[in-house]
Amino acid sequence: MKKWLMHDSWRHIIAVGVCLFSLFPLYLVVISSFASSGSLQLTSFVPHEISFKNYHLLFNNPAIPYLTWVKNSLIIAGSVSVLSVMIGSASAFAFSRLAFKGRKTGIQLLLLVQMFPAILAISAVYVIMERVGGFAPAIGLGTKPGLLLVYLGGAMGVNIWLLKGFVDSIPAELDEAAKIDGASEVQTYWLIFVPLAAPVLAVVSLLSFIGTFNEFILARLFLVDMNNRTVAVGLQQFIGGQYSQNWGPFAAGSILASIPIVIIFLSLQKYIVSGLTAGSVKG
Amino acid sequence: MTFMLRGKFALLLKVVIVSLISAILLMLTQSAFAQQEYVISGFLALTVLAIALTYLTKISIPLKFFIPGILLLIAFVIGPILYTVTMSGFNYKTGNIISKQEAIIQIKARAIQAAPSGESFDIKLGKVNGVPAILVSDIANLKYFVSTADSRIPVDARDVTLDPNGVAITAPNFTALTDAQMSNADTSYSNIHFKYLDKTFIALEGFDAGVVSEQALEYLPAQDEFKSLIDGAVYKDNGRGNYAQPDNKAAILEPGWRAPIWFENYTKIMSDPRVRGPLVRVFIWTVVFASLTVLTTFALGLLLALALNKPIHGRRIYRSILVLPYAMPSVMSILIWGGMFNTEFGAINTLLGTHIAWFSDPNFARVAVILVNLWLGFPYFYLISSGSLQAIPSELLEAAAIDGANPRQIFRKITLPLLLQILSPLLIASFAFNFNNFNLIYLLTGGGPRNELDGQIAGATDILISYTYKIAFGAGTQDLGLASAISLIIFVLVASISLYGLRKSKVLDTFA
Repeated sequence: MKKWLMHDSWRHIIAVGVCLFSLFPLYLVVISSFASSGSLQLTSFVPHEISFKNYHLLFNNPAIPYLTWVKNSLIIAGSVSVLSVMIGSASAFAFSRLAFKGRKTGIQLLLLVQMFPAILAISAVYVIMERVGGFAPAIGLGTKPGLLLVYLGGAMGVNIWLLKGFVDSIPAELDEAAKIDGASEVQTYWLIFVPLAAPVLAVVSLLSFIGTFNEFILARLFLVDMNNRTVAVGLQQFIGGQYSQNWGPFAAGSILASIPIVIIFLSLQKYIVSGLTAGSVKG
Repeated sequence: MTFMLRGKFALLLKVVIVSLISAILLMLTQSAFAQQEYVISGFLALTVLAIALTYLTKISIPLKFFIPGILLLIAFVIGPILYTVTMSGFNYKTGNIISKQEAIIQIKARAIQAAPSGESFDIKLGKVNGVPAILVSDIANLKYFVSTADSRIPVDARDVTLDPNGVAITAPNFTALTDAQMSNADTSYSNIHFKYLDKTFIALEGFDAGVVSEQALEYLPAQDEFKSLIDGAVYKDNGRGNYAQPDNKAAILEPGWRAPIWFENYTKIMSDPRVRGPLVRVFIWTVVFASLTVLTTFALGLLLALALNKPIHGRRIYRSILVLPYAMPSVMSILIWGGMFNTEFGAINTLLGTHIAWFSDPNFARVAVILVNLWLGFPYFYLISSGSLQAIPSELLEAAAIDGANPRQIFRKITLPLLLQILSPLLIASFAFNFNNFNLIYLLTGGGPRNELDGQIAGATDILISYTYKIAFGAGTQDLGLASAISLIIFVLVASISLYGLRKSKVLDTFA
């Protein structure tokens, strides 16, 4: 007993130290969300009181449409994650499995395009969507469908690239067998490939969900109306202004919005790590 | 399931879906064309054509898989990139946002001033033969007339009815607007020049008063120039998006329009010290910030991976806690850290017992940025490093131990070089990501602190991308042209870094 403690103590010291570093901000938010003072102050490490005032405020104050924000985030992130994987996996399948002229050039072009940080084109996207709004107000600037389209387009490059990496790692024997049996490419895709790749597709779509849920600046530029905001943008408004430091409801809202994301993330940890590397490292 | 992919049902389903999508897109094409958005309209038309050709003929099977993804990519990634390239060649900034035609209309509209006579009349809005008209009452002289854009018809005083103030409210042929019509008439009436004398007209001031006005500038389409009707000065197109006096370049007419200036935005970046100075400073900090972030996050992540590379007690619990910062939505974490660094009530100052104004001092702000990014980023490298440590063949380490190497030597001579080799593409990717880590800077410090008295745009913690954002969408002059030019330079830098990283990882070999 003593021996392992001695021998491994440095490991525990480092781990505990960094764990405290990790937990400190999170602990602070949790106690702030239960404090009634509305500030992010560190008065003591043990909370004096447990008040649900902030949580109550989120759901019962008509000036804070928290549930609407959550709904918006879920709708937008949900649609992006499902649609982008549906569309992206078809392209990835073609890049990975089908032979056609210009495939190599296509992949290289895709590689270059997915490197373009979406944020660099933000002014162009803004101006273009403003113009689109001029003739089609339903999908222009300031609308959820408009933002959805921009996200979908932006996710395409990275998603196709990421999915192509995954598709490459799925053995091709099965779809070759299907081909010999006379299946068309479309049939191979739907009946062989999609069922095989379903777990991978689910992981990529959840990654895409987290990524979209986390997106801030496009949502901020696009959705000006209070009832159209996403959670990230909405909550930022509490503490964005110089004199509006409403940490209490912000803390409560952040915790509620983060819990599902953290759960998804922790359960997908293994895949996420391989997903993060699959784009850049092979094998 | 097969019935959905083959046979009559599948064909019907396909035709219905394709025609539905085509119909929507065609509708958009048409309305875009009507709004004179020809490029967008053309793209939409091509989209319809591409979809119909791909799915209703047997032109190419791979295309059936590609088309939706590629079209989205073209519309929202490649299109904006090309548009950014175009904008970078224009003087697209505050005061030069609209097109030339719109600018001419606006200059004309703005060049209206009250006539020297200083007359103004009470008026009544209405219509004559369906044309917008005003019934004007010159109360002082008891004269009345009806004015439209082209004509002025005197009305005999006996033919009008007056209200208690002596203002005419009815006249022959003249139908006054109802209250409901009035509320919609605002813009349409205020733009009309109602005829008065030869060179003067009546411009509305509110709903019941009109001022005798004159046009100060006249547009001569043949010469494409504006001429002042007061002092005869001539304003010509200066080729840079403004009408200016040929001999006095500073005398320009507002607003201007977006005009091509080709490479001027780029030469400005290279040669104008007001642009170049801040940009170089921001660039240096960007590189320092990204390097330090990669260094610190990798160091801490690796340290943890080494510490937990043995099945010690509580490893699973440690691991779950350690990835929490990575699992939290980063927007919220960054905002929370922002609150913790607050001078007055922030937890950091309370904990340290200090009273540091973190975000007001350039160096403290930079430390804060690096620290927060360390918190956000170390779990990633912890996860990656511990995975890679497992991948190092244990024979190597055992062989070294047999040869008498101590643990430190083994780490320095074998583990670290191997790890660096495995992880170098990821380190480079992380550098590229942090090079453009907009959210962190924008949400934590907003790029500050900066010297506002000097009119600086760039703050001490601004990185290239947040600086560019400020140029494009900032509070003062918004210069989309310059911002686009900087964006493209950043893209070239980041793409070079990423391509270098990919070459190292040999991904390119798979299709070379």
